[in-house]
Amino acid sequence: MATQRPERFDQVNWEEVAGAGRFSLSTNAKGLLVTTIPLLALAAYDWLVLDERTPTFEPVGLNVDVPILDYMFAFTLLLFAFYVVLPLYQHPRLTKYYWREFRRNRPAVVSLVWLGVVFVLGLVGPLLITSPEQNVLHSYQPPVYLSVNAANAATCAGEVVDGMCFGTWQYPLGTTRAGKGVFAMLVNGFGITLKIGFISTFIAVVLGASVGTVSAYAGGWVDEILMRYVDIQGSWPTLIMYLLIIYTFGGRLWLLILLLGTFSWEGMARYVRSKALSISEEEYIKAINMSGASAFRVVRRHVVPNSASSIITDITLLIPGFLLAEAQLSFLGLGDTSVDSWGQIIAGGRDALAFAPWIVLAPGLVLFLTILAFNFVGDALLDALNPEAAAEAER
Amino acid sequence: MTDEPLLEVNDLEKHYPIRKGLLNRQVGAARAVDGISFEIERGETLGLVGESGCGKSTAATSVVRLEDPTGGEVVFNGGGRAGATRNEGGTHPNDVTRFDKTELKAFRRDVQMVFQDPSSSFDPRMSVGSSVAEMLLVHGMTDRHRRRAIVEDLLERVGLSAEDYDRYPHEFSGGQKQRIALARALVLNPELVVADEPVSALDVSIKAEILGLIEDLQAEFGLSLLFISHDMSVISEVCDRVAVMYLGEIVEIGDTEEIFADPQHPYTEALLSSIPEPDPRAKREHIELTGTVPDPVNPPSGCRFHTRCHKVVQPEGLNLEQSVWQALITLRYRVASDEIDVEKIRENAGAEDAVKAEIRTEFDLPQQLSDPEAERTLDRALERLAADDSEGAAEVLNAEFVTPCEETHPEYTDHGDGHVSACIRHREEVRSEAFADD
Ligand SMILES: Nc1ncnc2c1ncn2[C@@H]1O[C@H](COP(=O)(O)OP(=O)(O)O)[C@@H](O)[C@H]1O
Ligand SMILES: [Mg+2]
Repeated sequence: MATQRPERFDQVNWEEVAGAGRFSLSTNAKGLLVTTIPLLALAAYDWLVLDERTPTFEPVGLNVDVPILDYMFAFTLLLFAFYVVLPLYQHPRLTKYYWREFRRNRPAVVSLVWLGVVFVLGLVGPLLITSPEQNVLHSYQPPVYLSVNAANAATCAGEVVDGMCFGTWQYPLGTTRAGKGVFAMLVNGFGITLKIGFISTFIAVVLGASVGTVSAYAGGWVDEILMRYVDIQGSWPTLIMYLLIIYTFGGRLWLLILLLGTFSWEGMARYVRSKALSISEEEYIKAINMSGASAFRVVRRHVVPNSASSIITDITLLIPGFLLAEAQLSFLGLGDTSVDSWGQIIAGGRDALAFAPWIVLAPGLVLFLTILAFNFVGDALLDALNPEAAAEAER
Repeated sequence: MTDEPLLEVNDLEKHYPIRKGLLNRQVGAARAVDGISFEIERGETLGLVGESGCGKSTAATSVVRLEDPTGGEVVFNGGGRAGATRNEGGTHPNDVTRFDKTELKAFRRDVQMVFQDPSSSFDPRMSVGSSVAEMLLVHGMTDRHRRRAIVEDLLERVGLSAEDYDRYPHEFSGGQKQRIALARALVLNPELVVADEPVSALDVSIKAEILGLIEDLQAEFGLSLLFISHDMSVISEVCDRVAVMYLGEIVEIGDTEEIFADPQHPYTEALLSSIPEPDPRAKREHIELTGTVPDPVNPPSGCRFHTRCHKVVQPEGLNLEQSVWQALITLRYRVASDEIDVEKIRENAGAEDAVKAEIRTEFDLPQQLSDPEAERTLDRALERLAADDSEGAAEVLNAEFVTPCEETHPEYTDHGDGHVSACIRHREEVRSEAFADD
């Protein structure tokens, strides 16, 4: 009976209320739980029941396999959906405010559109366009509308006019030496990029944000030890370590992702720590402590969400770093040659740069645009995610 | 109803350790609050007034146990705790400083706080409604609609509208945020609200509105209030009684009218004289408080206010004009802390005699003191000062210009009706009165 309830603050019988059960999950946590459980079940089934060579969906008649990396990827996507996208929907007023602030930065809006394209292509592309097969006969085909000396292409797939081989729509961006379509590889590369971006970032955020908040909250020797470790990791010759590890264990994509994520969070930890320290001095934290809330609640509900601006701006710096690192390692021949990452395409095309520049240019351009886009978006987010500062500036 | 006060603070102390070096050894303590005692009756408003840095905020956070005090007790008799008596060991069952986790959580529903800075007192990423409702949630009210209904109703009571529930802090003005802060302090239905400079950050017109609102809410819901401010005029508007705080200690406490009509402590007089007088011909003299509150790590000995006091007592046998004596004391402490830039004075003045004269002028000292003994001492000190021997000068001044105020820590003197102050002049007056009666 809603109408019979006391609805004035001074009529609440606290003896009664305070005893009531208090454990309840947020919508976001429930959603994540409900969607993660089937994912885990599928992974367990794949791992325990099926042998290694059987594609995951074979029992239902589909020849689709799910590699380990994809479970991780799916999980990070779920996290993204429930803890980034859903909150934006749950708080429309704040979202609109952020958007108004963000929109002021035109290049950032264009960049965001581009990142959206990368996201959608990376998600859908690999499902529509499978990784291209080798076709030695069609090596070094030029992109459509362009032409090369026919002597450079094994057999020309398009027309040959005056000894010049013209590109066709079969290979819109030409082919590699092995005769794989660069466009198809590129589209698959979007998927790889997403996986690197999402999973490495997830690892870095979890480690960095936890170490940062624990350090800020525990203080004393815990803080001291954690921050000294962060210093060590920051000055560690990471590249040499990558080389050693990859040389020893082989350049597998999952290993690369793991390494990138695990050894890149020191900046994040520092940012989050200092942000958390400054937040804990704010009066609203005193006010929340005045409510008698547990330290966990204060951190989980107030300190971490308010550190989000630091986390997010750091992410926009981290991801370009990951993508570049992957490209560099691939270029050194230490990447995973079994995947069509942008870095791998570039590495594969470097010998043919003189007569088949499209192999390097297409992924290079896409990589460049993506990194640039992250920088622009990062800048705009830094401004948009800080309502107080903006509100002060307007007065 | 018993006649025990709602809140009773006894010898409350909060010392912040000062740590230094590799091993984090404690090398001293900032005595932010150093043994204060006061009571708050039910429905009463007690003002706590003092300059910035006197320890008012620390006192507030220690009373509500946002920080653990380092000494003393805070007995809170509200919220069904009335009528408790002391245990055998002398501890009080209602001593907040000894509350365990459950008791403390219940205590949070009985005592709430309003903070000074409206711009940072709300989580910028939470709608203000949720911020207020979170108080209810933390205390176990899981029904979202019920929380919302209560908070919306309360927002209306503090002069906002129910629709404001979903708005964010950056959409409100400082005054509006302070209204919401009041709503947040009230939502758990407390008996005591501690308001730490609730209007100090607001414009004058808005200040009056918020003060009015506080008074209305207090009357409607029978609240008791600990009202902190550095501004005597605000205190006079809302408080029944006032406690004047200086450097961690309460130097005077009494009914507001008493304190305003007949201030006993020189510090209170100084604070009162800073109120702009509506009547320019009013005869209250203007007393300027020079300098800032000393560092609580090394508080002055004896009466802590003597370094800035306009009524600082002269030693026996000395009879200078009071303002000259105060200037001497000021000079003494400035020299002792090596704050006088002789180099710069010399640049402007030139010869030694001119330097000495210049220092006198700067400290409002006459070129010739009326007491020859004192004049010789001062001259000696200035000579050393002009010769760049500030240590020697400090030595001379410290040895000769000693005030009884720095030698004894003043006891409280009762002026009747709960009006109490701590100044050694009272003791002397009491003594001389006794002589007169004989
Ligand atoms: N956490 C702390 N550590 C050390 N000193 C502190 C701390 N908090 C306050 N102080 C000192 O205590 C004194 C009183 O501060 P405060 O209570 O904020 O004064 P007020 O509210 O009257 O302005 C100041 O000198 C301040 O430097
Ligand atoms: Mg203060």
